[in-house]
Amino acid sequence: MKPKLSRLAVPYVVWMALFVVAPIVLVVVYAFSSAGGGFTLENFSRMGTYAVVFGRSFKLALIATFICLLIGYPVSYWMSREGPRFQRTAMVLIMLPMWINFLLRTYSWMSILENSGLLNQLFQRIGLLDLYNRLTGSSLPYFPMMNSQGAVVLGMVYNYLPFMILPIYSVIVKLDGSLVEAARDLGANGLNVFRRVILPLSLPGVLSGITMVFVPSVSTFAISKMLGGGTELLLGDLIEQQFLGGAYNPQLGAAISLVMMIIVVVCMVVVNRFGEGEEQAVIL
Amino acid sequence: MKRQRRTASRVLMALVFLFLYAPIFLLIIFSFNRGNSNTVWTGFSLDWYRSLFQNRLIMRSVYTTLLVSLLATAIATVAGTFAAIGFYSLRRRSRTVLNTVNSIPMMNADIVTGVAMCLFFVAFFTFWGDFSVWFNGVQHVVVLPGRLTLGFGTLLIAHVTFNIPYVILSVGPKLRQMDKNLVDAAQDLGCTWMQAFWKVILPEIKPGIASGALTAFTMSVDDFIISYFTAGSSSSTLAMTIYGMTKKRVTPEINAVSTLLFITVLFLLVIVNLREARAERSGAERRPVSRKLTQLLDTPRGRVFRRGAAVVLAASFLAAVVLLTGATNAQPMVNVCSWGEYIDEDLITQFEEETGIVVNYQTAESNEALYSLLKSGAGDYDVVVPSDYMISQLIEEDMLSELDYGQIPNYALISQRFKGLTYDPQERYTVPYAWGTVGIIYNTSMIAEPITSWSALFDSKYAGNVLMFRNSRDAMATALSYLGYSLNTTVETELREAFQLLKDAKNRGVYQSFVMDEIFQKLEGGNAAIGVYYAGDYLTMQENNEDLAFVIPEEGSNWFMDAMCVLKDAPHYDEAMAWINFIASTEANLANMDYIWYASPNQEALEQYPAYYEELYGEPLDPETYDIIAAPPEILERCEAYLVLPPETRKLYTDLWTELGI
Repeated sequence: MKPKLSRLAVPYVVWMALFVVAPIVLVVVYAFSSAGGGFTLENFSRMGTYAVVFGRSFKLALIATFICLLIGYPVSYWMSREGPRFQRTAMVLIMLPMWINFLLRTYSWMSILENSGLLNQLFQRIGLLDLYNRLTGSSLPYFPMMNSQGAVVLGMVYNYLPFMILPIYSVIVKLDGSLVEAARDLGANGLNVFRRVILPLSLPGVLSGITMVFVPSVSTFAISKMLGGGTELLLGDLIEQQFLGGAYNPQLGAAISLVMMIIVVVCMVVVNRFGEGEEQAVIL
Repeated sequence: MKRQRRTASRVLMALVFLFLYAPIFLLIIFSFNRGNSNTVWTGFSLDWYRSLFQNRLIMRSVYTTLLVSLLATAIATVAGTFAAIGFYSLRRRSRTVLNTVNSIPMMNADIVTGVAMCLFFVAFFTFWGDFSVWFNGVQHVVVLPGRLTLGFGTLLIAHVTFNIPYVILSVGPKLRQMDKNLVDAAQDLGCTWMQAFWKVILPEIKPGIASGALTAFTMSVDDFIISYFTAGSSSSTLAMTIYGMTKKRVTPEINAVSTLLFITVLFLLVIVNLREARAERSGAERRPVSRKLTQLLDTPRGRVFRRGAAVVLAASFLAAVVLLTGATNAQPMVNVCSWGEYIDEDLITQFEEETGIVVNYQTAESNEALYSLLKSGAGDYDVVVPSDYMISQLIEEDMLSELDYGQIPNYALISQRFKGLTYDPQERYTVPYAWGTVGIIYNTSMIAEPITSWSALFDSKYAGNVLMFRNSRDAMATALSYLGYSLNTTVETELREAFQLLKDAKNRGVYQSFVMDEIFQKLEGGNAAIGVYYAGDYLTMQENNEDLAFVIPEEGSNWFMDAMCVLKDAPHYDEAMAWINFIASTEANLANMDYIWYASPNQEALEQYPAYYEELYGEPLDPETYDIIAAPPEILERCEAYLVLPPETRKLYTDLWTELGI
């Protein structure tokens, strides 16, 4: 009788083969073909030109991931120390922003950061701008914040922070409290309890948090277009440009996507080595 | 000590929440703003909520978003639950493999998933086209549709595909926690596997299913990138509409719709949480009801009822899908793709009321982007409005269909000056839409001296204050014109010199950003001092910021003609003819000219416009303004029209353009 249950997987396996595997195979095919349709390696030979873009994207995504971890870990930890009602409310509050489309939230940042935006208006009104100008002898009409890499990182941190907090929190909250007590009883101080017990046990959550922030950050195009001004392309922009943007070349776009995919997979495998043996805990 | 630490951590958490919510509160606050700015508060009003319900574009995309998210969540939840059970009862090795494949859509970058699916769908459509021709030729019983396009169906498939993994991921652990022997025991005691599922498995994994469905729904609503690549042109989700708007101006109606959605969700979540909390406090009270229900459903009559209910549900679900897709197809409609801020939208309503044809009006960013949309198969339009050189290119690649001028009597109204131009010498493919010039727009309150030359766009003096075109042809033209070369040069050294000029200026930090329609809010809001754009759009900006000035540089510039064309094999050919004829009329041209400030190719409209303006606004039209709209002959003499470039030069443009971005 039992084999019958495993047959339930068949429709989804077919579905996956069609809509997950086949499209990726197609990307590989495109990456190795020329505009005319023949086999070529030309798309990859040009990859060297785009090394700068790869470097920039990975740098910004790494910074964003690191900042997310720096903010996300303590927040998750503190959340798990609070009472159940607080925890429930906090969880809702973290999920809720996702219901306002991320483009709109990013757009809102534009109106905050623009040269004549809300933050600059505020600085002007409280005299911070004058103070700065007097101190440095410069004559800035505003603080330039938009259209910079900093603004792009801010956008990434803002949009993907919940993806760091949720998995870490869901692991920490399930931590066996008696382990902490045992460590205390055995004479560990607060720092040691954290370093020796809590941190290693929460590692799976940290790893999946890193993945969930890093991958969208490295491939974003909307955030960089809106906050970065489009003068410094990121990988996502470059790919989008080849497919639906101003430089139609799907073969090159496929090749860039493929290289990016491979680098990301390698990174993730390396990162996940740290948490070997642990089941991935990507539970929202 | 301990209490202090707790207070400190609470303060820090509050700061993080402030960071998360500050932009959202701003959005909500400015949805009540009287003006249309997101930075300047001009007074309280509910006008944006009122106009929201009249904005068809937004309402339609909210509807599409909710529909696709609900359907995708429903399908993914059912399919994902069954798949998870299937995975669970597989042997370990095959399970590991399948789990890895399952995590691909989650781990992969959205853009790669989107691009891959887009390529796959388009490849399948090509195959299907050939197949249907063959199939319809072999037999005549069933006629297969020959042409499939990206649309609601592909959007739904894409959403289901990225939703299922989340469901499996949250159902899987619950299955593993379940006692394996329970299922065996149930089957040993005579349950069929279906009964084992209903009676044993389902109650155990219910929480997993619920949280999986919630995650899937959230992901669907929040998704933009995958939808962007798979939705095609006929359906657009709220995210796509917002993306289109962030390129020009986000109207506060979007703030209003987000506020409404936000409040609804907040309300729902509060209710759910309150109920959960209450249930926790008095856990046992609700049980008997559900047990009674289970018992009831277990009686023979209940079983019939259960099966009946399942059939009815499934049938109504299918019927809804068929009806919805059918309803959108049955109405006569026409898909139009034009540029942003390029039509008086009342004309669309007027046309729909007069003819009963629904207009699906989309915009593309630039000629190059339009070309990408058409080539990649992501854009499926009937009527497009490309510029002169792009029309030549489309004709060259056999992508346009000839017009039936018999159905377009208003073509006679087009001025002789604008007929038979180089892009369509035999007048077979096009009806002119509007024309204009390119020039420099600058803010006189930020730039004291008058600007007269293209050099302003490459001058370090204005570093960080210049907005450059985000399309290769227009951007290169500014440099070519400055260097004294023809805008249509095919000489590689000249093109490379122009490219170097742009690249240098970019490296020196002259450009604040590369823009298309974003230029409206950047120049109007005083966020940049100098920009280069189209004359008509300057007048629109000037209405909102009086300090702006416009100049056609002394070196010369580009003058362009945008014309309506119909794509090859357009599914709504006759409707397209009706639309083109309507837009070519004098009334439509006058309304358009007044709204978009581009010059009309319609002789009567061009002549009557000053009188029309005076009648409408009660004051005479400034002749200078008229000259900016319709450049006089002495200025046009200095301007050059773009011609189509040979394929090698086009490839060079594409390569240089990609390189400039780096």
